[in-house]
Parts: sequence; C-alpha cells; structure tokens
Amino acid sequence: MSKAVKRHPLVDAKRPNLLEDTFPYTLPPLIRLEGPAIEYIDGEPVEFDFSAVEDRDIVITDTTFRDGQQSRPPYTIDQMVHIYDLLSRISGPNGVVRQTEFFLYTKNDRETLDKCRELGHTYPECTGWIRAVKGDFRLVKEANLQETGMLTSCSDYHIFHKLKFRSRKECMDSYCEVVDAAFEAGVRPRCHLEDVTRADIEGFVLPFVDRLMEMSRQVPDELAAKVRLCDTMGFGISYPGAQLPRSIPKLIYKLNQECGVPSSRLEWHGHNDFHKVHVNGATAWLYGCDAVNTTVFGFGERTGNPPLEAAIFEYIALKGDLCGIDTMGITELANYMRSIGLPIPDNFPFAGRAFNTTRAGIHAGGLRQDERIYNIFDTEKLLGRPPRVAITDKSGADGVAHWVNEFFGLKGDDRINKIKVHKLARWVIDQYDVEGRLTAISDQELEEKAKEFFPDLWQKHKGGP
Amino acid sequence: MATVAERVIAVTAQVLKVTPEEVKAEHSFTTDLGAESVQSIELVAMFEEEFGIEMDEDAALAVETVGGAVEFIANVCKEQGVDVEQ
Repeated sequence: MSKAVKRHPLVDAKRPNLLEDTFPYTLPPLIRLEGPAIEYIDGEPVEFDFSAVEDRDIVITDTTFRDGQQSRPPYTIDQMVHIYDLLSRISGPNGVVRQTEFFLYTKNDRETLDKCRELGHTYPECTGWIRAVKGDFRLVKEANLQETGMLTSCSDYHIFHKLKFRSRKECMDSYCEVVDAAFEAGVRPRCHLEDVTRADIEGFVLPFVDRLMEMSRQVPDELAAKVRLCDTMGFGISYPGAQLPRSIPKLIYKLNQECGVPSSRLEWHGHNDFHKVHVNGATAWLYGCDAVNTTVFGFGERTGNPPLEAAIFEYIALKGDLCGIDTMGITELANYMRSIGLPIPDNFPFAGRAFNTTRAGIHAGGLRQDERIYNIFDTEKLLGRPPRVAITDKSGADGVAHWVNEFFGLKGDDRINKIKVHKLARWVIDQYDVEGRLTAISDQELEEKAKEFFPDLWQKHKGGP
Repeated sequence: MATVAERVIAVTAQVLKVTPEEVKAEHSFTTDLGAESVQSIELVAMFEEEFGIEMDEDAALAVETVGGAVEFIANVCKEQGVDVEQ
C-alpha cells in the first residue's frame, strides 16, 4: 500500500471559487507561467524563463498563400486579396500577424501581391518565397520586397537524395552563394532549414547557421539573415528530455544561444503529421523563437500547418490581453473559406460549425444554468458564436429548451424553461422511439416545429407567420 | 368538482398511460410508475394546464411521489389564488 506523504485538508467554502484570474471568460483562459523550466543540454541543466514571453515581441506569421496553397487547387486573385484583407483585420494595429509570404513565379502571383499591397495595410507585411537559386532574386527585387524565404534544406535526406549534392560542403557553399546574392540585391534572406528535425544538427545545421551569422555580421541589421526551423515531416517533440534532432527546446537553444541567432530572427514552421502541430509552435515561442508560422485553419501540405486561429488564442492567453486582435475576423474568415469550397471539419476548434455545440442533454442542462459550465470562453463576444446544442435523442428537454432560447434569441427573464418546451421535446423523443430515426435533427426541421409549437414567439421574434 | 388528488391521479394516468386505479398516493413517478425524463416534464406541464397555475420548474421536478404532487399543487394553488376542492 502506498503511503501518503502530505495531507490536504478540505478548504470548505459557501461561495464558489471560479478561478476567474485564470478563467476570465471574456478572454480565453490565461496561461499563467511560473518557472523556470529546466532542460538538460549536453549534460548540463539550462533554465528557460517562460514568463518572459509576456514582454517579448512574439508574433504570428502566415503561409496560407504558400504552404497553404500547396495542399489545394490555386486560389483566385480575388480570393487571395479577400483573405489577405481579413488577415489584416485579425492582426490588428500591433501586427500580431506580422508577415505573410507569396509565390513570385507567375503573372498571377505577382498581380496578387500588387493587389494585396494596394489595400494599404501595414500588416501582415508581404514577403516572398523562392528556390535557393541566385536568379530568383530578380523576381524579389522586381516585386520590391524587403525579405524573402529561400529553401536551404538541411537533412541528408534532402542534401543527398533530393538535391543530389556530392557533399555537405558543396551544399553549404551553394546555399551561402545564394545568401550572398540576397545581400547583394538588398534583400533580407530568410533561410528555411527544411527537414531540420531529421538533420544532423552538430554536423551540418549548426555549422551552416554559424556561417550565416558570420555573413550577417558583414551587412546592415535590416539585411541580416533570418532562420526558419522547418519541421517538414512533423517530427518535432515539445517536451523536455527529448533528444536532438527532434527536440524543439534543444534546437532553439542551440541556434539562439550557441549560434547567436537572436529570437527576433528565429521562426518555427511545423506540420501536423503526428497531431503535434499547434503545441510544437507554442513550445517554440516559449523556448525563444519569436515567430510561429501558420496557415488559416491549418490548411497546408498533407496534414497541414499550425492553425493561425489557434496561435491567435494562444497568443492572447500568453499575453493576457487581446493586443488589438479582432477575433471576430476568424469567424468571417471561416465563413468565407466555406463559401469558396474549403471544408472545415465541424468539430474544428474555434471555426467548425459545431465547435461549441453540445449533443449531450446533461451538458445542455449545464449550459442552460450557466453557459460558462460548458463553454470555453465567451464565444459569442469573441467569435460571434454563442454555445449551441444539437438535438438528438440524448439532448433531453434541457437541450431542446437551450435550442429554443438561442433560436428566438431570448435573454434573461425572457428565456423559457424546459416545461414550456415539452411538446417539442416529445416530438424529438418520438422521432427516435417511434419513428426509428438514427440521425441528428436539423435546424431546419426544428425551425418548422418551433413555428408550430411557439406561434407567439415566432410572431414576436421571427417577424410574422 | 373533483378533488386535487383525483385530478392529479387523472393527469398522471393520462400522461403515463396507466389506469387511474394503478396510481397510488405513495407511488414514485419514476420508480413505481415508470416516468421517463420527458414524461416528468410533460406531467408538470399538464398539471399547470389542468390547474391553471405556474410552477417553479426545479421545485416541481423535485417532487417524487403522487402524494407529494397533490400537496405541492394544493400549496401553489393557494399561493396563486386558484380555488380547488381539497
């Protein structure tokens, strides 16, 4: 039998302690950090002060038009301009969504970039994306961009098997020639360390980044190379104790503290092959990488990238403030994406049609008493999406009452109790018990019945018969 | 005019689809008479309609037996000025 080592006396209370310092409801639950976090690196304990994130200029960057577009048929120019406009709205005046990147290869690519810039938004700043080919800088210069991403793949899978270099040195020299070309063209290179979580960190990645930093010291600060850590296959691991090359804490520490890449020039780019994509991005923020690269709703190559809207809520939770972000834009963006044929799974957090819809009657009962019981935060205020119930045989009269109140928009004392919805509750139960139905009841069906059973409410709130 | 008890038994029998003779004062609506969740709601709604009263939802649903319902409804009728036969 195990022996208790500490007793925990009950702290009796007559009033609830809802822990509102952490769960303010008007904001997403805050992430309160106390440190330090310890990671053993090369056998030595290293402390990380996570709480510094509150004051650091962490940002979200976007690759919806690059990686996001690699997973689907191309967007039209108008669609991209509309998405860019909404990204700017979400970003807010502080530029929380700081940058977004564009292909530059086709006439449409360049026209899109021009039209986005014609909107006159400060954020997100527009950057480019090119191959690691010297000639491609002409495109960047012609587009008058200050910064461009370039592929600098760093695992031996890519160096030898994809790019067919004969040695790592040949590969590094080739990359550095292109970085030099960027400097000469007056463009800041952002080196995308593709497949870094499957690379030889000590044997290639750190020597390459050392050289990048050395080269960057020869140019003005605004041209100094940025480094994007690309977890191309989603192999990155967030928790302490993991070994390189998969450890995100160790990777960031090595680049940040050993190679001297400042946090402001470090960016994390993830993929969701192992369901780790958002947490890995947030981990990168905490361990010293200022930028997390995302796409709207996680659309991206294969399993996708960190969802931008998840990063937005993580950002607010870490900062404890909206920081000028317009979260309502997320719902507008989700509606727009659906309207142009991009499906978002119904249960997708923050944006799916049913992300805050409960089907369980007992949860609906809780919602009816106090929506905070089963709603993550004030989703109506932040997303224009009040919590809802979907009606099935499990919904109960509580669920039906919640649906009716939400449908008619009844507030406070005007809300009706479950006794008043007994006819509709009976109709719902009979659908399953008598009619043998196996599917959820649609809103359209319920609306018809609401009109039949609540003619007075219909007249008052839905504008007549 | 029927008494409160007779009217409660009549409504209970109708909603739960049993005969009035099967309904006894000491019977629990759920364990003895088999009322399911939605039928409990229907019972309260039908009692309100039968007696022309409004009952507090939580208090009404907390009543467990037929006899308890008779007593509860008689009190509500008195509070709301509704004349009933005791």
